[in-house]
Amino acid sequence: MNMSLHWLRIRAIARRHWYVLLRSPHRLFDVTVWPLIDVLLFGSIGVYFTRGGGPPTHASQVAFGYMLAGVLLWHVVYQSSIGLATGFMEETWSRNLLNLIVTPMTEIDYIGGVALFGLVKLATGLIVVALTGLGFYAFHVTDLGVAAIPIVAILLAVGWDIALIVIALTLRFGSSAEPLAWGLLFLVMPLSGVFYPIRALPWLLRPIARALPTTHAFTAARAIYAGRSLPWREVGIAAVSAVGLTALALMFTAAMLATFRRRGFVTRYS
Amino acid sequence: MPHSSVVGDVLRANGLVKAFGGVCAVDGVDITVGAGERVALLGPNGAGKTTTLLMLLGAITADQGTIEMAGYRLPHERSAAAGQVGFAAGYLPLAERLRVHEYLRMYGQLYGVANPSDRIARTLERFGITHLANAMGTELSSGQRTLVGIVKAMIHEPQLLVLDEPTASLDPDVARRVRTNLLEICSERGTALLVTSHNMVEVERLCERVIFLSHGKVVANGTPDEITASFGTTDLEALFLHLADRQRAHGTGRSETT
Repeated sequence: MNMSLHWLRIRAIARRHWYVLLRSPHRLFDVTVWPLIDVLLFGSIGVYFTRGGGPPTHASQVAFGYMLAGVLLWHVVYQSSIGLATGFMEETWSRNLLNLIVTPMTEIDYIGGVALFGLVKLATGLIVVALTGLGFYAFHVTDLGVAAIPIVAILLAVGWDIALIVIALTLRFGSSAEPLAWGLLFLVMPLSGVFYPIRALPWLLRPIARALPTTHAFTAARAIYAGRSLPWREVGIAAVSAVGLTALALMFTAAMLATFRRRGFVTRYS
Repeated sequence: MPHSSVVGDVLRANGLVKAFGGVCAVDGVDITVGAGERVALLGPNGAGKTTTLLMLLGAITADQGTIEMAGYRLPHERSAAAGQVGFAAGYLPLAERLRVHEYLRMYGQLYGVANPSDRIARTLERFGITHLANAMGTELSSGQRTLVGIVKAMIHEPQLLVLDEPTASLDPDVARRVRTNLLEICSERGTALLVTSHNMVEVERLCERVIFLSHGKVVANGTPDEITASFGTTDLEALFLHLADRQRAHGTGRSETT
């Protein structure tokens, strides 16, 4: 395997998506306006519920921090997922798919290129969240500390997994599956306990929530924000279930790609 | 064993079969293209040309049959095989929000050319469209897009050029320039050509051999003179019309599979 050749292709795809972002400023909405609105919305709700009844206590301060830390970490999932899924959709919107799939580029090269550029969008989104949180609510991202790194890594992987599932469904069902790029995230978010422990969920939904890697990642994040040490058990469960989800997402995508080639769905985009 | 410089056939496909939802689009097609050979794949709408091309390019998986491109077997060696093939279709737009030189650079690199700038400049000049290098893809006319697509297919100097309706949107002058350049490139580099077209005059000028498809089957394979003589028609256009009438008389042109 010629790694330099793969790296050349990955960079070519990443650069293509950089040009797309540069020349379509409205696509910056996802990475600038949306994070800003999220911080304003959840930050203001947090201020109202934790400080509205009187002077802030330690408990209310921590609860407030949970909300903004939740927004920040949720955007790791959101931005990584949206970056990869809409990057692929860009090829369907511009009818570029046939030209791409007849090149020597492998599927891994392509996903690598879009995901690499997605990291730029992710970083932009997180900077917006961090600066808005700091400027409006005196929320310091650094309070999470280096212990947040494994949590961020798990959430990044889950975001990419969700995007792979969306890509697979788009390959199979065409553009009608595109709304799932956002829809799946809004399904996962409340079940993951981003802003609250999952015991706050209706009992029927708790087993589903426990099966999600994101739930354990956010539980671990809340623990470190509260000043406790990193709960490795939660991180371990999150990591193992994220690996399982990644394997399932890859197998599902490979199966849908095989169906895409077998049933000639590429003609939808040519 | 795969090799990058083929002496014999650059493309060898045997017994290709493809059905969609019980309807057979391609039914036992055999195609070979020799190194440096210029071949046209012709047939009325619905004859199975595009499906055949997409199978040869690895974009659609064949139900049955084998495909070997430049010594590489599809689908397992698709990536290596694709590196030896250039593809352009008159109906495909350029990727949006890219300038022409950015688009060509991207595809050059996807085909493994680390620094394609010189090749891009030479090929744009060859086709007389150097002035389009900085234009946005969306600013181009359909004819200009087609020319850029053909340039894209040539940057990596493939052994086989697959062109689907390459001159459909070109005026006669530009179409002639494209034909002349294609003939020169095939002659200089030994590049083989597999082209589909509905312009029979163009096919007679460009291709040494013609493969006619009808109902998903090969019904004629030979030089234009040989096959027009075998069907008793005066030229390729008359043969095309004859086959189109026959296909229409048989319904959709595709057969139900069992």
